[in-house]
Parts: sequence; structure tokens; C-alpha cells
Amino acid sequence: MLETLELKRTPFHERTSRLSVAQNWRRWAGYAVVGSYELSLDHEYWAIRDRAALIDVSPLMKYMIEGPDAARLLHKVTTRDIFKMGVGQVYYTGWCDEDGKLLDDGTVSRLSDQSFRMTSAEPSLRWLAMNAVGLDVKVNEVTDEMAALSLQGPKSRAVLNRCCADRLDALKYFRLMNTGISGAPVSVSRTGYTGDLGYEIWVQAEQALTIWDALMAAGADYGITPCGILAMDMARVEAGLFMVDADYTASNHAWIEGQKSSPFEMGLDWTVNLNKKGYFVGRRALEQEKKTGSAWKLVGLDVDWVGLERLFAEVGLPPQIPGMAVRASLPVMAEGKQIGYASTSTWSPVLKKYIALAHLQRPHYEPGTAVTMEVTVEHHRRHAPAKVVKLPFYDPAWKKK
Amino acid sequence: MADIIVIGAGLNGLVAANYLAKAGKHVLVLERRALAGGQAVTESFGAGFQADVLHAGGQLRPDIVADLDLARHGLPESTSEPLISLHPDGRQLRLTADSDSETLASIGAFSKRDAERWPDFVAFMNAAAGFLDAAYRTPMPRLPHVKLAEGLPLARLAMKLRGLGARDMFRVIRALPMSALELTEEWFESDGVRAAIGAVAVHGATLGPMSAGAGFSLMHNWLNRGGPGHRRVENGIGGLANALVAALKARGGQLRVSAPVEAVLTDDQCARGVRLASGEDILAPIVISGADPRHTLLDLVGAPDLPPEFVWATQSIKMRGSVAKVHLLTDGAHALPSGTLVVAPTVRYVERAYDAAKYGRTSLEPYLEITANGPVVSIHFQFAPYALRGAEWSQERAVLERIAIDTASNALPQLKSSIREIKSLTPLDLEKTYGLTEGDLNHGQLLLDQMLFMRPMPGWSTHKTPIDNLYLCGAGVHGGGGISGAAGRNAAAAVLRGK
Ligand SMILES: Cc1cc2nc3c(=O)[nH]c(=O)nc-3n(C[C@H](O)[C@H](O)[C@H](O)COP(=O)(O)OP(=O)(O)OC[C@H]3O[C@@H](n4cnc5c(N)ncnc54)[C@H](O)[C@@H]3O)c2cc1C
Repeated sequence: MLETLELKRTPFHERTSRLSVAQNWRRWAGYAVVGSYELSLDHEYWAIRDRAALIDVSPLMKYMIEGPDAARLLHKVTTRDIFKMGVGQVYYTGWCDEDGKLLDDGTVSRLSDQSFRMTSAEPSLRWLAMNAVGLDVKVNEVTDEMAALSLQGPKSRAVLNRCCADRLDALKYFRLMNTGISGAPVSVSRTGYTGDLGYEIWVQAEQALTIWDALMAAGADYGITPCGILAMDMARVEAGLFMVDADYTASNHAWIEGQKSSPFEMGLDWTVNLNKKGYFVGRRALEQEKKTGSAWKLVGLDVDWVGLERLFAEVGLPPQIPGMAVRASLPVMAEGKQIGYASTSTWSPVLKKYIALAHLQRPHYEPGTAVTMEVTVEHHRRHAPAKVVKLPFYDPAWKKK
Repeated sequence: MADIIVIGAGLNGLVAANYLAKAGKHVLVLERRALAGGQAVTESFGAGFQADVLHAGGQLRPDIVADLDLARHGLPESTSEPLISLHPDGRQLRLTADSDSETLASIGAFSKRDAERWPDFVAFMNAAAGFLDAAYRTPMPRLPHVKLAEGLPLARLAMKLRGLGARDMFRVIRALPMSALELTEEWFESDGVRAAIGAVAVHGATLGPMSAGAGFSLMHNWLNRGGPGHRRVENGIGGLANALVAALKARGGQLRVSAPVEAVLTDDQCARGVRLASGEDILAPIVISGADPRHTLLDLVGAPDLPPEFVWATQSIKMRGSVAKVHLLTDGAHALPSGTLVVAPTVRYVERAYDAAKYGRTSLEPYLEITANGPVVSIHFQFAPYALRGAEWSQERAVLERIAIDTASNALPQLKSSIREIKSLTPLDLEKTYGLTEGDLNHGQLLLDQMLFMRPMPGWSTHKTPIDNLYLCGAGVHGGGGISGAAGRNAAAAVLRGK
């Protein structure tokens, strides 16, 4: 007989499940997480953009990388220069296979000279172990042991300042510090997946509920709102942040070459350091691509509202757009030919625009290029005019301040 | 400054060095031991011992001998000798590739029918070996990306195979993955004949006569030996290396012995020289290694500078050695007939001997190959696994020596009383003294999934590595395994093509 497959519960489940009015659960890396607490996403979305949103991101894969060669391992695996990384710094990075195609992306935090924490979307233990051959380093997965909360929104700093043992005013963008919340030791990084001011709080699973309660209490006056991952999905598109297996196919999951993407194709040029010393996985291929240029590029599409209105008006309707991020491939055309596809599209409440992340072929990926994106108008395929724009769509001044 | 550094003065390293020197390159060969030859050395250890300590005999490929003009540089004569299988009842089965009357009579004593079939079998094995020889000299493509330039030699090889005639082509292809038992069953009815041929098939390999793929290793060994028995080299096999060294020097090449390489120096994934254990750096734009691929890549280059998938593949090369040697210094009254003597009376016997290796034990009734050189009797012992279960080679050595001597003395009654001194080499000694990872003689087992375009590993059979200008030329790469020089010849061609 088949045993029932149960999803794992995150360390915050006791709290999140009580608040989950909509019972809209999503699967994330084998865990059940809240998709949205309420029936509509508005309240949670606006918490990210206007107040403070509390998001359970515990299912992120987490690895502790420790030992004399810890930096060397990450230098080999990722595209960034880890030898130049200071203690307390966080790097966002992708990592590639030997053909320079992305396997996954995530963050690397330097906790001390010889210890790092890495997060990823996909299980990465085997890859790290394969790369660690011949190195004096220990790799431990701590996904289950370590809980993670993301506190995002313009008021997130004020909330943390109220409940942390130390003030966070000096903590710069993509840095981290150790402090405490209600006596529980935590590490707080100024990172997130929303493109807003925001922090991620890392804590031992046993102390997860303590910090949840402390944050909720401290944030009450600021309208802190538990937020599901669907609202975060809209925010991350606005921020031009992509997701493995939604916006690109991990090279080890791809069936065919054409499904793979390089960091250059994903617009991650700034994370690929070809001047760094020594070998790293994919170096040769990336050097070559840098020379010849990329065949594809991930860009933003800004769909023309008037054009969209016109298509719907033809059948006597106002524009209909799904109220959440949609991960479905939509053909993108130029001069009557398909030149790419949108991978995630969403209505952006803060910009009042219909936007999408799209993979476009050379030469159509230059900003300003006029294209069309497929929309379904009353069961018919139509093409809405759109413009190629630089990412991110939304970049508030307070994000890095 | 040298144009090319060759790591290791085994036969393959020396052959590669000679071809490159002949092409006008300044070649420097660096050998960790005090003498050249690798596994093909004639050494003395202790008073009176002067022996082919590792490989018992053999010859370089005739084309290599001619290309490098080795006869002029003192290449010793070698003569073919029979394989003589010793039976407990005192009978001796004599096998040669010549099908002379003595051979046929000897087989006839085991089976009349087998004696009649022997000449046909020899013809088939020669054809199969000829095909393998052609395959070993065909540059292999970097699968899965076959380019036209690589396709042409492959097409020629296919023609060669076709040239065997439809019947033999089919038989060769069919025999490759077969076990030695299955293959010999189709030819012979006598278990003694099947066992002797099965023993040749598994010689040097961690395989039994019932293992799949022993058909291939039989063809491989037949090719290198030129028949069932080893070729005896006048005054010892070390003469092959001596001739190669003399030829190299005459071509302006250099050899430095007692110069162990500790690291291959790289810059931006490109080789630029080597560092010796002494700390001395020697720079050269091209480095070729005749040491085994695992040692070269993981110890000398180092896994951190190599792609993870490649490291994985390198770690996965099956190396499991299970050969030991026991040398006996006798008073000369051992009464051994000349030839390659084997203790492999029945197929079951050899298979049982192999079974022990599977479970990490030394065979209690081993398959032996015994050769004599004056007063020194050398016993090749199978199977003695590198990785013992629940025992250490430091203690197991005594067990090995006892079993070797008892088994050999059973077959050769006058041997035991003639013994004066014993000197054994365990698989651990092969690793420590001769630099063979896991005691594997062939730098990687001769298994079908580790041959041709899969040697040393799939996609890397072009002698190149992920490190530019670092090439591999030893037994572990395409053409390699055994005394032949083919891998060295192929690697030199790849280096010259690659530039
Ligand atoms: C007992 C025995 C029986 C055998 N039977 C068979 C058989 O039946 N069939 C068959 O196909 N093969 C057989 N072989 C294997 C055959 O002898 C080898 O495949 C062949 O000799 C390999 O030659 P090579 O030049 O490639 O390598 P090797 O002879 O191993 O030479 C490698 C050289 O590199 C040197 N070296 C290694 N590391 C370094 C370093 N870091 N720095 C400098 N130098 C280094 C070593 O000292 C050595 O001299 C047998 C071998 C033995 C010992």
C-alpha cells in the first residue's frame, strides 16, 4: 500500500496555519507554505510595498560551509570573487555547470573567515560535495534546523529596531549582523525577494515561534502583516527577480540544450566576475559567451495599456488580467515572427501596469524595442503591444538607503 | 628550456617522448624512481636477485620499433614462448600460436577434437587481435560530439572490421562482451584448455573467466603477447626501456630519474610546467603524463582546479588491482621448464580464485603464472585484492608468500627445497613503490566500459584534459594497457596534432 505523502511543516506552522483564512497552501521544496492568508492578495501585497510583510521562507535550502577551504569551495562553485568577500557581506550569485549554464541561484553569506551560509532553491548538497573533493571543508545542510523569516517593506527596519537587541540603522544593503530577539540569537541580513527595504532573519528552528511572536508584537503599530508567497511572487517580478524552473530551467533539469540559460542571458552580468583568480565552474564557456555575446536576454516587458484596452474593447470587455503572477509561457513577437517568450507575467499594483519577465532573442532584446505579447481575449489569442524595458520595473529609493 | 615535459619514464612515457623528440621537440622526461621502465623493469633487490620484478615479458609494437629505429639503439631480441598449464596429475598442456606438432599433440592429450580446432582458434584470435590493434591506433572521437575529422578514421576502422569478412566480423563483435567461459565453450570441449585460455583472459585484470567482458580482455592480452604465452626478452624486459632511453638521448631528449613530480603547475586552466617534490619548478609549455590518470589529475593537478563532473568521472575510474608478485631466489635446482607456466587447471578453479577478490580476500587456491630467469623464479599471483576486508597488507604478506609457495610447489615438486630467499610485492607495494594507484597495473581496469572512446573516461579519450596543454599518455588512456607503447604513440600524435 502507498503511504500518504505528507508535506513537511515549517517551524512557523503553528502560527501560520492558524492565520491562514484562505487555506491556500502551496508546496515549496517539500514544505507546505501559505500561498495567501486571505482570499485576495491585495492586503498582503500592499504590506510589502507600504508597511511590513512577514513571510515564512524557511523552505529555502540552507547549507553551512566551514573550514580552511570554505572560501575556495564557493569561489569554485559560484561566479563571484569570494576571496574578496568581507565577513558580514552577502552576495547574490548564480552557479553554473561546466558549459556555463545556470544550475541555480541564491545567496552566500560570510559569517566568519572560515564559515559561510549558502541558500539555494534546489537541493545542492551533491553539487557542493562534488566540488569539495580535495578541499579541506565541511558542507552541512541545515534546511530543517534553521528557520527563516523575511520581513519586507518600508517599515521593516522600524519594526526590527523595536525588537532586536541592537539597532539596524548601520546595516547596509546585502550585509548581515548577529543580534538577538527576545533572547534568541538571530542573524539578520538585509536581503529579500521583493526589491523593497527588507530583511531576512535566520534562527534555530526551536526558537522560531519566539521570534515570530516578537516580530508580530513589535510590528503591530506598523501594520505588520503575515504574507504568503503569492504576493511575494508579484513583488519579485516588479523587482526584476527571477526564479529557477519558472523563469529559467536549471541546466540539470533541462531536457534539451535550448532550455538552458547562462547568467549573461539572465542579465546577471554583474555577478559574473571573469577577472577573479583561478578556475571556477563554467569559466571557459562564460569567457567565450562574453566574447561572442549572448543569443538571448531576460528583459522586462511593459504591456501597453491602451493597446490592451483596445483588444478587449473589440469584444466589449474591459481588460482582464489575472490578479497574481502567472508562470505560463506567452509567445512574444516582432515583425510577425516569434522572437521569444514571457516566462512570468503579472499585474503590478504599485506601477498600475501589466508587466512580464521575458526571454528575447538577439537583436530584439534592446530596451525600447517594440514587440507584442500574446494575451487571451475571450478565448482568442491576440497580441498586445509591449515595449522592452530594463529591469527592475520597480526600484524604490529606500531599498538601498 | 624544454618544449615538452613527460612525467614518468614508463614505456608509454618513453615512447611518447621519442616520437616528440623525433618531431624536433626538446623533451625532458621526469621519473620518480631511480630507473626508467615503469612496470617493465629488470631490477636487482638484495644479493643475487636480478629479475623482471613486475611484468614478465613482452614486446613493443612493430610499427613503434620501426618508427623509432629501436633496433639501432640496442632493442633486445625477444622470443615467443609457450604457455604451459600445469595440472595436478602432472600433465602439462602446452599452447602456442604456431600450432606446431608439439602443441597439437599436447592439446590432443586433453581432447582430440580440441587439437583439431586449435589452428582455427588461433586464426580467429589473430584476426580479433588485429582488429583491436587497428582500433587502438584509431583516434577516438569526443563523444557525443563526433566531427567529420574524427569520423573519417572511425569509418576506416569500420572498414577494417568489415575486412575481416562477414563471419569473423560478427564473431569478433559477439565475443567482446562474452565471458571467457562462454567464448571457449564454443571452441573447446576440454576444461583444461578452456581454463588455460580463461587464465590468459583474466591475467592482470580483476575478472574471472565467467565475468562478462573477459572475451575482450582475452583479445587484448593475445594482441600484446602475440599469442597465449609471454615473449621472453633477452637479458630481461628492462632492455626495452634501455633502448628507448638510448634512442631518446640520441634524439636530444633528456631523462632525469629520482625526480618525482609533485604538482602540475597551471595558469588559467593551462599547464605551464611541473613542481618536483624537491621544490624545484620546471617550466614548459606542454606537459604529458605517463602516470595513471587518477594520480595525474587528482594528485598532481588537484580536484579543486578541475570541473566537478570531470573529478567525479576521474574518481569513478575502476582501478581495483588484485595482482601480487612473489620472487624466489633459488639455488638453481628449481627444475622449471622454460615458458609461461600457469596454475589454472580448471575454469572453476580460476573463477574461485577470483571469487576471493570479490570479497576482499587473498585466494587460498590462486591462479599463478610462473616464470624463471636463471635462479630467480617469479610468481605472478592472482588474486590478491588491494582493498583487503578485515586485514592489512602488512600482515597479509606472510599469508600471500605461503600460499604462493605452497601452490607453486604442488605443481613443481622440486621448487620448494631450492628456495633460498623470498621477496614479495603486494598491491600496496605496487602503489607505494611503483606509483600505481590501487595497485592497478593498467592504470584503470581493462573493461569494455573503460576502453576506446571511454578510456580513461567517456568523452576524454583524445589524450587531452580540461587543463590545456596537459596530455595523458600512460596505460590508462586510449591504446593503453599492457606492454606495447600504443598509448604513448597515440598521445604523441595527439600532441603534434593539437599544436
Ligand atoms: C605483473 C604484471 C602483469 C601484467 N600483465 C598484464 C597483462 O596481462 N595484460 C596487460 O595488458 N597488461 C599487463 N600488465 C600491465 C603493463 O605492464 C602496463 O600496462 C604497462 O607496463 C604500463 O606502462 P606505462 O608506461 O603506461 O606505465 P608505467 O609502467 O606504470 O609507468 C608509469 C611511470 O610513471 C612514473 N610516475 C608515476 N608518478 C610519477 C610522478 N608523480 N612523478 C614522476 N614519475 C611518476 C612511475 O614511476 C612509472 O615509471 C602487467 C603488469 C604487471 C606488473
